[in-house]
Amino acid sequence: MAKSGVSGYAAISARVRAMYSSMLSPQDFVRLSDAPDVSSLISQLKQTAYGPYLDGLKEKDFTPQKLDLAIKGRLGDSYRSITQMAPEHARPLLKQLYRYFEIQNLKAILRAVVSDPTWEHVQDVLFPMREMTVLPAQAMLESGSVGAAIELLQNTPYYDTLSFAMKRYSAEQNLFPLEVALDLQYWRQLWSEAKKLSGQDGVQATKIIGSLMDVNNLMWVIRYKVYHGLSEEEIINYTLPFGYRVRDDDVRAVAAGADLPLVVGRVFPGIPDLNALLENPRQGLPQLEVILKRRLMQQCLSAFIGNPFHIGVPLAFLILSDLEVQDLTVLVEAKSAEMPAEEFRPFMLRSVEA
Amino acid sequence: MLFPREMSEIELIVPSKDLLAVTKVLSSYGVFHQTDSNYPGVASGSANTWQETAGNYSALERRIQTVMQQLDIDEGRPPSKDYEAMVDLEKLRAAVEQIEAEVRSSTEELSEQRKRLEQLESIVRQLEPVEEVDIDISSLRDSRYMFSILGQMPTANLERMQTSLARVPHVFLTLRADPARPVVWLAGTKSNADILERAARSAYLDALSLPNDYQGTPGNILKSLRNTIESTRRRIKELQDALGRLGLERREQLRDLLWQTHTSRVLSDAIVRFGQLRHTYVVTGWVPSDSMEDLTRRLKQASKEILIEVLPTSRTGHNSSVPVALSNNKLLKPFQMLVNTYARPRYGELDPTILMAVTFPLLYGAMFGDIGQGLVLLIFGLLINAGKVMKSMQSLGLLIAYCGASATIFGFLYGSIFGFEGEHFTHAFGGELHPLWLSPLHDTLPVLGIAIDVGIVILLIAYLLAIFNQIRSREWAHLIFGHTGLVGFALYISFLGLLGMAVNALRLPIIPKIAVGIASIPLPWTILALIFGLGIMFSEVLINLYEGHRPVVEAHGVGGFIMYLVQAFMDLFETLISQLSNTLSFVRVGAFAVAHGGVSMAIFALAGEELGFKYWLTVLLGNIFIIGFEGLIVGIQTMRLNYYEFLGKFFKGGGTRFEPLSVAPTQEEA
Repeated sequence: MAKSGVSGYAAISARVRAMYSSMLSPQDFVRLSDAPDVSSLISQLKQTAYGPYLDGLKEKDFTPQKLDLAIKGRLGDSYRSITQMAPEHARPLLKQLYRYFEIQNLKAILRAVVSDPTWEHVQDVLFPMREMTVLPAQAMLESGSVGAAIELLQNTPYYDTLSFAMKRYSAEQNLFPLEVALDLQYWRQLWSEAKKLSGQDGVQATKIIGSLMDVNNLMWVIRYKVYHGLSEEEIINYTLPFGYRVRDDDVRAVAAGADLPLVVGRVFPGIPDLNALLENPRQGLPQLEVILKRRLMQQCLSAFIGNPFHIGVPLAFLILSDLEVQDLTVLVEAKSAEMPAEEFRPFMLRSVEA
Repeated sequence: MLFPREMSEIELIVPSKDLLAVTKVLSSYGVFHQTDSNYPGVASGSANTWQETAGNYSALERRIQTVMQQLDIDEGRPPSKDYEAMVDLEKLRAAVEQIEAEVRSSTEELSEQRKRLEQLESIVRQLEPVEEVDIDISSLRDSRYMFSILGQMPTANLERMQTSLARVPHVFLTLRADPARPVVWLAGTKSNADILERAARSAYLDALSLPNDYQGTPGNILKSLRNTIESTRRRIKELQDALGRLGLERREQLRDLLWQTHTSRVLSDAIVRFGQLRHTYVVTGWVPSDSMEDLTRRLKQASKEILIEVLPTSRTGHNSSVPVALSNNKLLKPFQMLVNTYARPRYGELDPTILMAVTFPLLYGAMFGDIGQGLVLLIFGLLINAGKVMKSMQSLGLLIAYCGASATIFGFLYGSIFGFEGEHFTHAFGGELHPLWLSPLHDTLPVLGIAIDVGIVILLIAYLLAIFNQIRSREWAHLIFGHTGLVGFALYISFLGLLGMAVNALRLPIIPKIAVGIASIPLPWTILALIFGLGIMFSEVLINLYEGHRPVVEAHGVGGFIMYLVQAFMDLFETLISQLSNTLSFVRVGAFAVAHGGVSMAIFALAGEELGFKYWLTVLLGNIFIIGFEGLIVGIQTMRLNYYEFLGKFFKGGGTRFEPLSVAPTQEEA
């Protein structure tokens, strides 16, 4: 019988609490954002839980790409450690959540196959999945063509999806259909795994995974409409009909050309100055994404209040860790480009006002 | 046998005119390990020319291999006849081109036919799902007012696509339900064709795309396609047969060409790494000292003016660059393979193969002692070694046979045959079978004590061998103060003394006699353990002092000297824990011997009392289980004991492999 409740989550809950305590505090973020350059940023970061992942890097390796990869090493370890400790019935959901990074790696490899860089360059941008990946990355890159690379994915969860989309790739010579097919498969599978859980696990998983999907789905709809100019039927086919707050009617309304601030305001009430923000959607969209992610962060933090013996706690911790890495990426990029604080601070999820 | 073969470094000065003859001697004798002579100060004037020559031979070799592959011809064994040192490239090329021309006409048509077959099969694959749809494909394609798409799409997208077309009049039917790829038909008016087409495309509807000349229902088209596929396959078979006949005709000639080209390529590759002076070449490398005389004679025959300088290499000291040639008997190859899997011995280091040949079967047999099961393993191992069964494991055949033989001997000592011992033997066969030594099942505690004693002996040997290796490599500081040096050894003896005292004082039921024996020697073991313990604790300081390294104490950073003391104490603590765990680790030898008897008892309990079919079937299946499952586990445990408790103490490895220049591919040492 599957262990759930206190018996199933006692150990993982303690573990997550311990790991949660090593996350960066708001004061840490203030200090990091005040660092004068990338070297001091890294030397400060070395004093935190990210230290062991950065110790091996020399000054010449302080490129945004290499630093990003090193920082993500901790996120990968968190996923592996938590997935191993999770009760058996909850593992498929955590594994599927982790597969997000594998999908990103897969997209990066396919892009590399098209643009033809060396393996040394490509491996620098791949998320460190270690043994938890089914991708024969180097062999795919060396296969020389997208078709041959996809053939190497036989017996993986991606083959059927990609082989369907391959016909469109051959006709259009554009990776967009392949990437969209992968995204749709990923999120559908994630939702399906969340829905398989029952009781408190089911409630929490639907809430957290659903909220995560909301951000993605809503951003997709708006981007397809604003940036890609896709038709109504294409937008509907490229988006998802489920989520925690976002409903199919909302997606269809945006696809059909409804007033954006009206729909967004209905789904996420309380966002200040929404009309002004979305007056020019191309400019306002990045800021809207930050606002939605901050809300997601609050949603995840609320999982730590009350009964801790459910899947919500590890899920929330992993998403929070990912968001923390996203903030660090912003900092690394900003410090490398010597960007003034007022330019990068609006894009950080944590408030870093001193 | 105890050490790698002694090597001599040689430097040859070869007159240009004798270059090929000398290179041929070096590469055909199989004892010369070449090193790069293109070091600074020695010009490599013609290296580029030779590089080009080697490249040409290499390209030709690949072409021959391609032709051989097309004709399904293997490379065959290296020829026994002597080839010319360097065969004329043009002559070889002309011969190869002639055969290539003969092969090309057939292979090109074969390739075309295969491509055609692939296309036809692709169309069949598209049509098969709609085979039962009774609609004329051309009428759908050429319809005047209706736009329609017939094809397959992912099940997951079905619902979404219908949603996307909610505001457009259309017909959407699933013609054949399939869990992954249903066959669907989407139709609407021509005026909505764009919307329908976009919706279908974005839902990944894989539309059927047939050339315009295909007409009729899918069933009719498929029938015609299958006939065409059949005739294409027949043509492919004819072409393959023709190539097969050509392969038989040309086999020997192609093999001959391949080896000639290969020989020339190997020679030119070697010459690329020679250094060139004005009229001479410099060649450097390593040769086993016992082959030196013979090689010198052959070289002198090949070139009267060659200058040979031989620099014998001492086996002591650090010689990490000297290649290591092991010289073990064929019968010891399985153990050499085990040692090489752990690490290749360094030059001058003791080769532990012969020791493994004693400890591995001994420990295996002690854990798996049974006359019948041992004999089964012995026979099985011999069959594997002869290549009669499980060819992929041939290299392990002898090892299994040795383990089987040892298990058989221990079977006699334990008095066990196929698990039958004592009253079970009498019950089944009527006679009596007594152990020649002791029965693990009945003398459990003595067996465990003896196992620890065996472990102590093995560990003491390992410590002595470590000391021996350190003397040979002249690591004097580590010899005296190291964890596996004299102080470490003395600490282990003191530790055994203390262990023996503890066994006596606590009256423990498991008695390691060696430890008790050491404790009986009237020496102050506690004080000695304390002194040698301090020696290990401060070994780093003592080694630094002896070797003149400064600072003597690495006490910088967080915590300073206090932190150093904590670390030094933890080092001592870890050493003592390791010595205890290493010693007790051998208890498993006795424990497995007991468990082996225990599992047999469990099988007899399942078999019951009555000597019928059920009884013998259970005994048979039980024995198969024991041989397969327990035999494997015991193998893993034996390897663990040998690797970590034994080799780990004295054997470092990390030697460079001896790779003599050779025309024929060299076989792996193990």
